[in-house]
Amino acid sequence: MRIPAPSAGRATSASSPTRARELSRPPGPEADWSEAWDDYLHNRDNPAGDVRELWQHTGGCGAWLVVTRDTVTHEVLEVSSHGRPSMRA
Amino acid sequence: VTGVQTTRGAIKAKKVGIVVAGRSSQVAAMAGMRLPIESHVLQAFVTEGLKPCHRPCRHLRHGAFLHQPVRQGRAGLRRRSRFLRLLRRARQPAHGRACDGGGHDADADDRQGAVLRSWGGIMDMSPDGSPIIDRTHIDGLYLNCGWCYGGFKAVPGSGFCFAHLMATDRPHEAATRYRLDRFATGRGLMDEEGTGSQHNLH
Repeated sequence: MRIPAPSAGRATSASSPTRARELSRPPGPEADWSEAWDDYLHNRDNPAGDVRELWQHTGGCGAWLVVTRDTVTHEVLEVSSHGRPSMRA
Repeated sequence: VTGVQTTRGAIKAKKVGIVVAGRSSQVAAMAGMRLPIESHVLQAFVTEGLKPCHRPCRHLRHGAFLHQPVRQGRAGLRRRSRFLRLLRRARQPAHGRACDGGGHDADADDRQGAVLRSWGGIMDMSPDGSPIIDRTHIDGLYLNCGWCYGGFKAVPGSGFCFAHLMATDRPHEAATRYRLDRFATGRGLMDEEGTGSQHNLH
């Protein structure tokens, strides 16, 4: 699977093995355990279809990308930049 | 729960069990539930007999090859790659990548190993890598899921314990710890690898 990386200066780039579901952190400190934190850490919609994920171009520019992907067909529907490249890439 | 609506009509039932590995989240969503499950693909490749040449495990850049003795002394070549686990459908490029990756990083001997067969399937991964056999918060709805990549060999025991739970409303002695709420409470997590109770770690 190849994901076009907008900041890599090339039309396409090898996809990275690092990714995570795009999730929004619950408000409040981490020390305050709540249902919202449990939901954030453990529960997933996990659809067979379109998902929004964070991917990192680890073999290249290190950029984090927000990728909308169909998990059934592997079709990459949308890619946009997410923040600055990580130094740890 | 009052029953299940199927393509051939409604089936009424006082108790309904969800045992649909690979699709647990989608079926649970029909009951309005969100599960602690992420689905990934695992692909496996079996070479011809190469056992004497192999070290038992070799870590590669994109994952690990595990060479396991399988039937009749054949060497099993199992690749659990973080990359491959992202793909829900087995594909030819992944197959080629695994072979190329193995040949590239491994000894010259490994390159001569012809792949006899390969397969893949969707794994419902739980945060701590252990399964869930439990009631749900919905009356009469039971759940058996999260077997990750270990479910096939566990099917008889899993089915027995699940049947016991559904029939008696009490977990079988062997399955008391497979609770759905262990992630929320943090009690009784079964993280056998010691890597943490978090998705993508198992």
